[in-house]
Amino acid sequence: MAEGESLTESSSDPNPNPNPNPDPCSICLSSVTQDSYLDKCFHKFCYNCIIRWINVVASKQSSASSTVTCPMCKTENLSIIYGYDGTYFQRHYVGKSLENSEFFSEAHRYRLKCYYTEPGDLADKLQVPRYWKFRKYIQHNHFLGDWLRREFQALIQVEDVDIIMHHTLGVVDSLRRDWLKDPKISTEKVRQAFRASIYEAVRPFLTGRTERFVNELELFVGSGMNIEAFDKVYIKHLGWKFLEINENEHDDEPSNENHTSAVPYLYILDEESDEN
Amino acid sequence: MQASRARLFKEFKEVQREKVADPDIQLVCDDSNIFKWTALIKGPSETPFDGGIFQLAFSVPEQYPLQPPQVRFLTKIFHPNVHFKTGEICLDILKNAWSPAWTLQSVCRAIIALMAHPEPDSPLNCDSGNLLRAGDIRGYQSMARMYTRLAAMPKKG
Repeated sequence: MAEGESLTESSSDPNPNPNPNPDPCSICLSSVTQDSYLDKCFHKFCYNCIIRWINVVASKQSSASSTVTCPMCKTENLSIIYGYDGTYFQRHYVGKSLENSEFFSEAHRYRLKCYYTEPGDLADKLQVPRYWKFRKYIQHNHFLGDWLRREFQALIQVEDVDIIMHHTLGVVDSLRRDWLKDPKISTEKVRQAFRASIYEAVRPFLTGRTERFVNELELFVGSGMNIEAFDKVYIKHLGWKFLEINENEHDDEPSNENHTSAVPYLYILDEESDEN
Repeated sequence: MQASRARLFKEFKEVQREKVADPDIQLVCDDSNIFKWTALIKGPSETPFDGGIFQLAFSVPEQYPLQPPQVRFLTKIFHPNVHFKTGEICLDILKNAWSPAWTLQSVCRAIIALMAHPEPDSPLNCDSGNLLRAGDIRGYQSMARMYTRLAAMPKKG
């Protein structure tokens, strides 16, 4: 249109406030807050913006849809990918609101939150080294199945995780049988075999979270505790408060350490500000 | 409510910045109400609306941009997809094909495109639609041109 040199916006614009974000969210037209990508076309939006759009679309439909049409390109997408921190990401599946699902409890929420927090010296506190040293791994852990189920439910955010749970239990059991047959095997070898086999088994399901899951599993089996006791120690260690889990906790131990609560890397699952 | 205000303000700033970018559209916001906008659009060339200036009234809902704006012609226009009396526009993106990525500016562009490419199979103005459906292009064009002269052009003399 304009002939001659086409000045760029910033140099030609005398306006002291030129457009500061070249790549705004197409819903609010502001800089994207909490980067969220649709899983097929990878268009980027604010988490809250795209969630609101999904809710508006859903409210117009008679039956719940499991896809969202991208506002930019009309591609059908199944989920939003968000909370990517370089290694892990969160996934929100369209039409599956965690708030409404029966299975996703406060305890699941707390477990998921743990994956966004540094555990610190929890292994020593739970006496995990003793577990390996005194060969406690040859005993069957009765709580493992339930613990695994909750863990997978929290991480994958689906209710039915039985296949992965039994698969993992099977791996643990077969390792245990091997170790029973070979009492001379070194502790370090056992630990390495344990970690490697579990890693291999759950990696297809947990992808980027696998390494951390193996750590958490080692903490749980190493503690030798039941789920309730494990949660208590864990939560206390991080300095968090959860009503449902904490209600019966008394300060029976003299807490000489100065507790500061561990802050998760980012706020996941914040309440969606829905306008009615 | 806040979200829609913030977004409309962004659009307002964008319109100020790009005023020269699209000479066919002039979009102005009501002085006292950011939810009311008016647009002047040029009738596209090589159509019976060429040479006319058409005024559109925008009423933006509080849920904008999750809900589409309501747009109607204030200037009388003879077009199959515009109601002759009320100025209501039949355009999919203003109804179920709405996407929050549209802006008031791009809605204006869509309306200009609709003026150039009428959809006689979903008419709001049946007389206009019937002329086109009967293949009477000349009849349609002369009617449309007449109304453009009567309503969308400055009075001569």
